[in-house]
Amino acid sequence: MPVLKILLKRNRIWVFAAILAALVSNLSQMFYFVFVGKLVDKIAGRQTIEYSFIAILAVFMIANVVTVSLNHYIGHMTAEKMAHSLRMGYARKLLKKTNGENRSCDAGQIMSVVQNELAQADAYLGNTFFDIFSMTFSGILVLVFLLFQNALLTMTLLIPAILILVYVLILSKRMTPLVSETQNAKNRMNHAVYSTVHAFPAIRIFDGEKLAMHTFQRETTDWVRSATKLERRSALYNSLSGVLSGIPLLLLLLAGGYMVLDGHIMLGTLIVFLNLQKSLMGFIMNLPAWIGGFKIFTANLTRIEIE
Amino acid sequence: MIRLEKVSFSYDKQEIFRDLSLHVEKNEKVGIVGESGCGKSTLLKLIAGLYLPSEGKICVDGETDPARISRKVSVVMQAPMLLPMTIMENITMGHEYPAERIDRVCEEAQLSKWIGTLSEGINTYLGDRSDELSGGQAQRIAIARAMCKDAQIILLDEPTSALDAENTAAVLEALRRYTVDKTVVHVTHRPEHLKGYDRILKMEDLIGK
Repeated sequence: MPVLKILLKRNRIWVFAAILAALVSNLSQMFYFVFVGKLVDKIAGRQTIEYSFIAILAVFMIANVVTVSLNHYIGHMTAEKMAHSLRMGYARKLLKKTNGENRSCDAGQIMSVVQNELAQADAYLGNTFFDIFSMTFSGILVLVFLLFQNALLTMTLLIPAILILVYVLILSKRMTPLVSETQNAKNRMNHAVYSTVHAFPAIRIFDGEKLAMHTFQRETTDWVRSATKLERRSALYNSLSGVLSGIPLLLLLLAGGYMVLDGHIMLGTLIVFLNLQKSLMGFIMNLPAWIGGFKIFTANLTRIEIE
Repeated sequence: MIRLEKVSFSYDKQEIFRDLSLHVEKNEKVGIVGESGCGKSTLLKLIAGLYLPSEGKICVDGETDPARISRKVSVVMQAPMLLPMTIMENITMGHEYPAERIDRVCEEAQLSKWIGTLSEGINTYLGDRSDELSGGQAQRIAIARAMCKDAQIILLDEPTSALDAENTAAVLEALRRYTVDKTVVHVTHRPEHLKGYDRILKMEDLIGK
């Protein structure tokens, strides 16, 4: 069974709670913004603001704060539970291996897994994994809501965003082999360092210093070359994505402003769009980065065996 | 050829042995037996110039400088100590040797048959396949490496510990043939591996003499 599936299954109650918390938190946030929009409309239309309206707005405001905090807490707690399952699962597998399943327990490879794959998977779980849940719910809910509010304005926002997304996705596809290449180069370098230390007596007796240095230099150079290439490509894609992500917002301001001036929509609706577009754009524009991050995460997990 | 005079060795403030003396003549084959942990491997590393004694004198083929001693001996340790390189590089350690010599040592170390099954033969990279390599294969590469150096003094530390009975007999026979005109110190806890040796000494008999 894939490692991720095992981790999700082992922590299914926490995972369910995290998904639920993300859903509730995003729903409450959306309703809060809708009521803020209505408040703007009432103010702009010089209408009377009822006490009941203010009370409902206050309830949504409080609910928003509470659910966002809960979502944050449960998400991170779930991530930590899963990271713990991963670490302990790896340790259990390792202990089982040294009981005779494997001829030799290569300390270099074990250290490499602990320092690289395990540490990176751990960091991804803690920093990103459950934020993706939350942002995905948020993006989908907001998209449906905005389409009902004003389909034309939503499309003004959505179409350029999707075009940019496709463009960035195509570029990010080129990242996968680079990530794998860099990981392999790093593993080879760690293995070379460990072997050089471990085989020092042989190097000394057989006068192999030159060869050992050559090997170490070759592996280090390979890793530096791969890592530099990966970072350069990653920086290029991220900055491109950042610059392009401003275009949909500009279009929304232009089209939305024109519609308000023309009387097609209320100012409150534009305010709602401006508030909620962050959730939608955050979801769409971060998708390639999430996919890239998720690919690195799953690639790391394929190198880890757990019990 | 090998002289150890009242040698003591401590590691991490723990004394491994004290006043150990050993004399080995040229072309003599000496086996040293003793329980695990009595300092047999340490003794071999001292002779090889890999460790410095806390007290006493070590002289190997007229040399007392550990770095120079290391150049004069060939060692097969319990652990094969392979590097992430090709089989060829692990055997030659980057030195230029005639192809015939490399073929001969591969044959004598019972490596040729296995190497013949590899698509890249002796140039197969071992770096990523340490798990695929059996203990026997790894140790036979280490034995071929020791043979390839062709030093006059051969130090053996349980060289067949990772091999099965059949391979052990074959490798010991190959080592016996190879070391006919060499000086050998072989430490082991299995005296049956020392058949035909000139002297078999117990580790405790060397201490305090």
